[in-house]
Amino acid sequence: MSTIVIGLSLGLLLFLLAAGLTLIFGMLGVINFAHGSIYMLGAFIAYQVVQITGSFWVGLLAAPIIAGVLGAAMEWLALKPVYSRDHVYQLLLTFGFILVIEEAVRIFWGLDYKQVPTPDLFSQPVQLFGSSIPSYRLFILGFGTFVSVVLFLALDRSRHGMVIRAASADPEMVQTLGIRVGRIRTGVFAFGCGLAALGGAVAAPLVPIELGMGMSIIIDCFIVVVVGGLGNIRGAVMAALLLGMTRAIGYTYAPDWVDFITYLVLIVTLMVRPEGLFSRKGRTA
Amino acid sequence: MSVRTLAAAAVCAASLSGMTVHAAWAADPDAFKIAGVVAFSGAYGIIGEDMKRGVELAIEHRGGKVLGKPIQVTWEDDETKPQPAVQKATRLLAGGAHMIFGAVSSASTVALQSLADQRKVPLLVTISADDKITRPNGSRYTFRTSNTLGMEIRMAVEFTKAKGLKKIYAVVADYTVTREGWETYRKAVEQAGVTIVGVDYAPLGNRDYSVIIDKMAKTDADGIAVMVTGNDGVTFLKQSGQAGLGKTKVQFGPVLQDELLAAAVGPASLGVYSGVRYHFSHDNEANRKFVEAYRAKFNAWPSSFAGEAYDGMSWWLDTVESTGSWDKEKWVDAFAGSTRENSLEGKKVMRACDHQALQVGLWGEVVEGKEPLPPLTMKITNVFEPEALFPPC
Repeated sequence: MSTIVIGLSLGLLLFLLAAGLTLIFGMLGVINFAHGSIYMLGAFIAYQVVQITGSFWVGLLAAPIIAGVLGAAMEWLALKPVYSRDHVYQLLLTFGFILVIEEAVRIFWGLDYKQVPTPDLFSQPVQLFGSSIPSYRLFILGFGTFVSVVLFLALDRSRHGMVIRAASADPEMVQTLGIRVGRIRTGVFAFGCGLAALGGAVAAPLVPIELGMGMSIIIDCFIVVVVGGLGNIRGAVMAALLLGMTRAIGYTYAPDWVDFITYLVLIVTLMVRPEGLFSRKGRTA
Repeated sequence: MSVRTLAAAAVCAASLSGMTVHAAWAADPDAFKIAGVVAFSGAYGIIGEDMKRGVELAIEHRGGKVLGKPIQVTWEDDETKPQPAVQKATRLLAGGAHMIFGAVSSASTVALQSLADQRKVPLLVTISADDKITRPNGSRYTFRTSNTLGMEIRMAVEFTKAKGLKKIYAVVADYTVTREGWETYRKAVEQAGVTIVGVDYAPLGNRDYSVIIDKMAKTDADGIAVMVTGNDGVTFLKQSGQAGLGKTKVQFGPVLQDELLAAAVGPASLGVYSGVRYHFSHDNEANRKFVEAYRAKFNAWPSSFAGEAYDGMSWWLDTVESTGSWDKEKWVDAFAGSTRENSLEGKKVMRACDHQALQVGLWGEVVEGKEPLPPLTMKITNVFEPEALFPPC
């Protein structure tokens, strides 16, 4: 039973890391290579806020807001002029963002490791199903579920979500209705960056905070995005849970096969159902 | 005489004159030039700066000169990759460098080793730990003054026996060097009557150890051998701390913790044991002087990277000075088989058969530090003699 709890927490942490990427990919058609760097930036912002305020929760709130503002500036200043150009310009631009963000982090925080302690409320393990489960994992489980439900309702059930999806599917039509598509794009990119930073802040008590941490998550994020379907929040949740459970069960019973199975799922998805295992035709969210 | 013949003659003449100039310059150089190729970025980017500090202090302590000439170090960043390491060292050698200092990662050091052998230039290694760097009948021009991984594995074996651990569960980084190290450890402790109750191999860069930690917690192992290092070691200890693993089991590893890594882990590192390459608390006169000077200059405690770099470079420059010659072959012959009585870690002997420095091995536990020590500091608990750590050549 503890394996299932760990698998779910692994999956929902993966979802938190990948949600911003799938949102930007699905709604704007931009492959944001800088997603990992913004995740890293989120962890560093959380670290800095914790240093100043002593509160992890303030850091968790501040990281997505600051990264969101930064994301809006990045989109407005750099990405907007290249929407009409070939995709390769967007790729190069987001790659450039990586270099700028990493250099900025190096200048501000240096090369040494930073540490965000586990919040006191979740610092002790709890006994569950005969296992000692870190309570912070349970927090991730609950928080990840909350974020996924909010995102799903916001994009799939709200009027704003409908406008965002419409702007993604047919921007000219939405523009003629008097809706400013440019602002929607800026908002979506900012929101995606905020989600990446939120993932970084949530992961901060679990991993060392250092300059290279963003690169280590980007492959997992792309697996979730591809398997779940571009821009499909529900698909991203399912894909992340599938990946999390595969890892939890795999590491318990067949550790040597975990990576093989993970990449096999990715390859099979790309070959058999490139739109994603959990996509429904005609929907983007 | 055709134009082509004239051109060929001109090229030959130019080459010869260049060689003459080079030979004359080599016989009476204006400076002792060191090619410092270390990592300032990449996976080990944090290490290069400390090594640079150690070397700079070693040079400062001898008045900045050797053989009557100023010492000039040119630092290059190998980005923790072998290819840039070779490219940058090659460029520095073309500029007249007399030796190479570096690198950080063993892969980069092995790449530099080939270059050093081709160019017949000494290579001084003070941090890379792969055993293959110093092997019998290996590179004539490579010398290592710091620890080997094999030595650190043997320290872990000695610690397991000394601590009286009976059942071990291990997590091992899934790559060749650590797998080989684990096999060495496993065979040695099994011979001593210790039972291995489980082992998991985690990929390099693994970000989540929760499943492995859960498996460990469910066994009756009394010791957890953590054969991962750097970021991976920090991640493991942070997550094992959240599960309370350290409350019931002794966690240890050959290269698991120092002050830098303990700070990254936080309080969960308390009580964790690890091999230590150099430590500022090691009690001898040379180390006291070095630590005092380092703190005065940099306002920080020297890390193992700084200490090893200082120690190795001081020993090497003293040896070069003792030859009174600019002949690199004489430097190499003098360093092989030399003894450093007053190193920062006591006596070190450079073995002529493999160019590996025999030295004591330090083992320590993370404890709470009192001012002015770092809040989480290593307390040296065991000092192992070289005879227990280095197999004969």
